[in-house]
Amino acid sequence: MNYPVIEFPWLGNGMMIALIATIHVIVSHGIAIGVTALMVSLEYRGLKTKNEQLIGVARRLSKWVLIITTTVGAMTGVGIWFVTSVIQPDSIGSLLRIFFWAWFAEWIVFITEVVLLIIYYYTWDTWKGEKRKIHNRIGMVLGVFGWLTAMIITGILSAKLTPGKWTETLSFWNAFLNPTYVPSLAFRTFIAVLLAVSLISLPLRIMIKDAKLRKEVFKVFSVWNAITIPGILISGIWYLLSIPDEAADLIIWATGMPEDLFTILHIVGLALFLIFAFWMAVKPEKVPVILTFAIFITSMAFIGEFEGIRESVRKPYVIYNYMYANGVAAQDLDKFKEEGYLAHSAASPIKEVTADNQLEAGRELYKGQCITCHTVDGWRTKRAFADRLDGWDEEGLAGYIATLHETRPFMPPFAGTDEEREALAAYLIKVSNEGIDTDLTQASAEADNK
Amino acid sequence: MILQAISTNLIPEDISLAIPGNLGFFEFLIVFSFALHILFVNITVGSSVLAVFQEIKGMSKKNKQIDAVAQQLADHTSIMKSIAVVLGIAPLLLISVIYTQYFYSSTNLIGKAWLALLGILIVAFLILYLYKFSWEKMQGGKKGLHVLIGAVGSIMLLFVPLIFIVNVVSMLYPEMWAGSKGFFHSLTYYPQIWQRYIHFILASFAGAGIYLYFWNRRLDRKVDNMSPDEMSSEEKKENKEIQKRAKKVGATTVMITTALQLVAGTALLMSFEKEIMMLYMGEDMLLTTLLMSSILLTLVLLFLVYRLGKTDSKGAFIGSVVVFLVILGVMGWMRHELRESYLGDYLEANPRTTEKVLPVLEEDGEVELLDEEEIDAKEDAEATEEEADADSDAAVEEDAEETTDEEADAEAEKADEEAEETTEA
Repeated sequence: MNYPVIEFPWLGNGMMIALIATIHVIVSHGIAIGVTALMVSLEYRGLKTKNEQLIGVARRLSKWVLIITTTVGAMTGVGIWFVTSVIQPDSIGSLLRIFFWAWFAEWIVFITEVVLLIIYYYTWDTWKGEKRKIHNRIGMVLGVFGWLTAMIITGILSAKLTPGKWTETLSFWNAFLNPTYVPSLAFRTFIAVLLAVSLISLPLRIMIKDAKLRKEVFKVFSVWNAITIPGILISGIWYLLSIPDEAADLIIWATGMPEDLFTILHIVGLALFLIFAFWMAVKPEKVPVILTFAIFITSMAFIGEFEGIRESVRKPYVIYNYMYANGVAAQDLDKFKEEGYLAHSAASPIKEVTADNQLEAGRELYKGQCITCHTVDGWRTKRAFADRLDGWDEEGLAGYIATLHETRPFMPPFAGTDEEREALAAYLIKVSNEGIDTDLTQASAEADNK
Repeated sequence: MILQAISTNLIPEDISLAIPGNLGFFEFLIVFSFALHILFVNITVGSSVLAVFQEIKGMSKKNKQIDAVAQQLADHTSIMKSIAVVLGIAPLLLISVIYTQYFYSSTNLIGKAWLALLGILIVAFLILYLYKFSWEKMQGGKKGLHVLIGAVGSIMLLFVPLIFIVNVVSMLYPEMWAGSKGFFHSLTYYPQIWQRYIHFILASFAGAGIYLYFWNRRLDRKVDNMSPDEMSSEEKKENKEIQKRAKKVGATTVMITTALQLVAGTALLMSFEKEIMMLYMGEDMLLTTLLMSSILLTLVLLFLVYRLGKTDSKGAFIGSVVVFLVILGVMGWMRHELRESYLGDYLEANPRTTEKVLPVLEEDGEVELLDEEEIDAKEDAEATEEEADADSDAAVEEDAEETTDEEADAEAEKADEEAEETTEA
């Protein structure tokens, strides 16, 4: 534990990251990349068929793209940095050093993207006649830069699961061009556009009263569907085949669903998308509102699930084969076991477990090694010790922690001395029975008096 | 004082991965990118507050032209803020990478306030869009409510710098970390916070003022060059009047706030610990030169802006902009040197990782740390064991692959065995 620890006792620290990241993925993929592509293609089609109404739809969309991406989109993007540096400082700190130059390049791409978006939004009336193509071209370049942001960040995201040769060479390019880079980039690209269609079909279906115009809009969308749906299936399978077997085995577990339910839900979901796509292609003016609504919800559920799984199957690591989910570097494991975890924890006021401070020491260990994923009494009962440790005693738990990573391969090994392990067990048993507000100093003194 | 603090060490060891570049170059990048970022932040904050002030003034004087100036300011706030946000990525990246041990600690000491920033900024930005896009719709009876919307957004923007300032100030005081009790406590716990805040806010008005002047000077030229078909002479006249007014607001704002900076800057200097303050007052050549030149340049700026307000001459305008930007650069540089002065002893006592150390997977799966020379030596030794004509690099690579493959197999088997456990969980 190198840095002070912040605790979200009910929500759970991991959930904080998930919350911000999920919103960001929906906006960055769905809107910044996806809706931008749709908007520019509507404008393109409008110019080509001299359909001013279609251009009008693109124009209205551009206002919402501007508002949403420069507020929620941009801030949740920075937000992922903020929240990971608060909750997973060792992990994000390492990633920043590995991928410094990728992020630096991302900075330049982001600035360009925002400037292009501002230009695009404010210059709808600048060019007349034949020259209106220029505006559309700016939109296309904007689309390319939106995609470039994903192209860069995907290298970083995919390396966390499959760092490939990087763990041996620590070379930037080994990490960036890792084994799942290309399939996950392809997957995300198709997802972005399909997500966009799913997100804006509902509001457009409701807001565009003119059936003829709606037909034109949805015709453009169905061209995209014909590309993205097969694209997602192919790149998705490619991606699945490239991740480590241990990770693939964890997929269904990561959703928390029984296997049957998982299978049924995903077949139904896929069927829903196929029906939607066919309907849009065959009778674009008559796509039912209820279907667009179902797709709106399902698409967000899917993207949330995908990101959730991607984060979960990496367990017990946060950077595969390099750093455990709780921020302990794999290479430090032996050192902590021999010399003690607390002795190497700058942010811990306690450096050594003694008879007087067992519970306070346990609390520091809990903060250092458990809190990223667990709570004492949070809403996710599967991760709350108050529920998990019902019926356990200190001794049993201390023994269990020693072999935890073997019986549960998704758990990181405990990194610390035997005394520290016992202190952690004592603390966890204490708080899971008495709650987090327990007066530890008092309790420690009592333990001492026994 | 500082030496004693080091003994109660809350400063963690640096991350074991090396800082991926030349430290000096990174320091240059952080000064440069931060100056760029803060320029747009200043314009955003200043414009947003000025817009509200001007709108109120326009209401009380029932003057449409003042309202037009206010609207222009609100328009630009939302554009500047988008650029300001993305420009912030590089300095945040750099401070995280080169001051990890300090910046992550100080961030987490106010972790919840740091995260609250996201919510505050999203809401503030959305409110400021509402402020801008509802300008025409909310005239007449709704004007009061409209001002209120702008005021709420601006107040939120005015609060945000405090969180940043607490973070970057507290990272300079590792010896005070142990006594820190969260964000609101930190506002009065650490020195310099409010002095820095006032220094920043004044700069924001100055930045917004210069920008307002720049933009309206540009509009002036545009209007001049328009043919009568594009704009009637009456419209031209009205536009020119608005631009004249806007330029006056801009120049006056720069004059007043820049003059005040001479006081605010001195107050900030006085808030430093004596040994640091003395560095700026003769003990350190570089710092003293930077400070003296920033004061001189500020006086020059005051003179130029005064002339600009009188004559609107091209020379005075370009001069003002250039001098303003140079001051911004000097301030950014001084700010960096200040951090270096504060952290100097700590940086020495807690060295940063600047050299790459490779972890090597041994046959038995143990991880061993080697530096680059040792790795070369090890590779050479292994290569000699291979067949004489084998390329040594390739051999080492193959070797490594085998090791990891074996490991992967072993792990996969283990995973299979325990698959039941997993699904049960």
